[in-house]
Amino acid sequence: MTALLELENVRAGYGPTSVLHGVSLEVPDGSVVSLLGANGAGKTTTLRAITGGVRWTGDIRFAGRSLRRSPTEDIVRRGIAHVPEGRGICTELTVDENLRLGAHLRQDKAEVKKDYARVFEYFPVLKERRRLSASTLSGGEQQMLALARALLMRPRLMLLDEPSLGLAPMVVRSIFEIIRSINRTSKVAVLLVEQNARIALDLSTTTYVLEVGRVAVHGASAELQGDESVRRSYLGY
Amino acid sequence: MQEFLQLVVSGIATGAIFASLALALVLIYNAMGLVNFAQGEMAMFAAFIAYTLINHGMSFWIAFPVTMVLAFGGGILIQRIVIKPVERAPVLTLVIITLGLATLVNGFAGFIWGYVPRYFGSPFSSDSIDLGGVFLNERDLGVIGVSGLVLLAVYLLLQHTTVGLTLRAAAHHPEASRLLGVHVSWMLALGWGLASAVGAVSGMMVAPILLLEPNMMQTIIIYAFAAAVLGGIESPLGAVVGGLVVGVVINLAGAYIPNAGDLQLAFGLGIIILVLILKPNGLFGRAATRRV
Repeated sequence: MTALLELENVRAGYGPTSVLHGVSLEVPDGSVVSLLGANGAGKTTTLRAITGGVRWTGDIRFAGRSLRRSPTEDIVRRGIAHVPEGRGICTELTVDENLRLGAHLRQDKAEVKKDYARVFEYFPVLKERRRLSASTLSGGEQQMLALARALLMRPRLMLLDEPSLGLAPMVVRSIFEIIRSINRTSKVAVLLVEQNARIALDLSTTTYVLEVGRVAVHGASAELQGDESVRRSYLGY
Repeated sequence: MQEFLQLVVSGIATGAIFASLALALVLIYNAMGLVNFAQGEMAMFAAFIAYTLINHGMSFWIAFPVTMVLAFGGGILIQRIVIKPVERAPVLTLVIITLGLATLVNGFAGFIWGYVPRYFGSPFSSDSIDLGGVFLNERDLGVIGVSGLVLLAVYLLLQHTTVGLTLRAAAHHPEASRLLGVHVSWMLALGWGLASAVGAVSGMMVAPILLLEPNMMQTIIIYAFAAAVLGGIESPLGAVVGGLVVGVVINLAGAYIPNAGDLQLAFGLGIIILVLILKPNGLFGRAATRRV
C-alpha cells in the first residue's frame, strides 16, 4: 500500500511555544491509523498542522503532493475531512444545513443523494431532526452529525479528533462501529486521535504514540496491544 | 382612525427605508462582529451615483439596479482594501477604521458633488389612492414595495441558496467553515458587497424624500442603528421588524405628541438606550450563551 498521507519531521507550535518536535508518520490509503498519547502530547496539533490550522516546518504530503503553504480551504478540497476537537458543528444552522455544507462543493448530485441515504441509514436520528437547529442535539448526536457531514464531503482521508470525548460508552461503541464500516465500505482512510487507547487500538491497523511532541512508539496496533510494557508506560491501562 | 391608518402606512414606508439600512448593518455585523459606521455614508454615495446616472439620461428603474451592482462591487473593494488588512486587529481599531471610512466617503462625496442639497426626483407619482376613506400615498406604497422586494430577495438568497448558506456559516463559524472548504475571507467580502447593495437601496429611497447631499444619511443611520439594536443586532429578520417598528413609532409620535418634531432623533436614540438596558439581545437576538 502506498502512503496517502505522509508527515516528515513536522515541527509546529503556537507563537513561541513549540508543540511538535519533528513528527513523522504515514497513513496508507484505505487504512485506519490511530494517534495516541497523553494530554498535551501534540495529537490535536498534528491534525491541525495537516489541515493548515497551525504553521509548520518539515513536509506534509497528501496523495504525493506537498500541502506546504496551502490554505485550509484548499487542503480540505483535495479530499481531507477534518472533524475537529469540539466537533465543529455550526450551531446557528439546522441539522440539514450542516449536512448541506458538507456536500456543498460536490457537483455529482446523484451520488450526493446516495450518500445522504447512506448517512441516514447510519444515523437515523439525524433524519428525524433534519429541520431542527443543530444546537438542540445532544453530544452524541452532534458527533454523529459531524461524522455524517464529513462523509458527505466524500473524502479520501478523515481526520477524527477524539470522537469518543464526552460520550456514553454505548454511544462510543456504536460510533466506532460506524467508523469501521465507513472505512470498509467507502475505502476512506482514517487518522484517529483518541484518549481511549483500547478502542482506538481495536479499530486501527497501525498506531503511533506521541510523547511531548515526538513519536515515542509506533507499530502494528495488534502488537502494541499485546505489549504490556508499552501499554503500561504509554497507554495507561 | 383614518388619519391613524395613514400615519401607520407612511410610518411603514419610512420604516422600510430604515429596515434596508439596518439589514446592511446586520449583514456586516455578522461578518466582522462590528457595526459598520460608514454604512450610511456608503448609502449616500450610492444615491449620488444613481443621481449622476439619472442626470446622464438613464431612467430611474435602470439606474436603480445599476447602482446596486456598483455598490455591491464597491462594498467588496472596501472590504478587500480597507478591512481585510486589519481583520485581526482589536475591535477599537476596526471602530476607528469604519468611522474614518465614514468621514472619507462623506468628504469624497462633498469633493465631487458639493454640499448644496440637490433635488432627486421620485420615481413614484404623488397621487393618493383611496382605500375606503383611507388615503394612501403612492410614494409610500412604492417605497414599501421596492424595499419589500429587495428584502425578500436578500432573505431568499441567505436562506435558500448554497451561497447564502456558506455566507451564514462563514459569518458565524469561520473555523468550522474553513474545514468544510468554504473560502471564508471571500464570503466576508461578499457580505460587505451585499450589505453595500442593500444599503444603497435605502439611499435611493431616501434621496427623493429628503434632499440629496453628503450629510443626508446622518439621521437615518441613527434610526437604522435603533432598528438593528431593537431587532437584535445579529438577526436579519430582526432588522426588518425593528426598522418597521421604529418607522411607525416615530411617525406616530411626531403626529400625536405636540412639538415632537424636534425630538424625533431623540426617540431613535432613546430606543437604542432602552433596548440596551431592558433587552440587550433585542427582539430576535439569541442570548449569548457560553458552555462552562
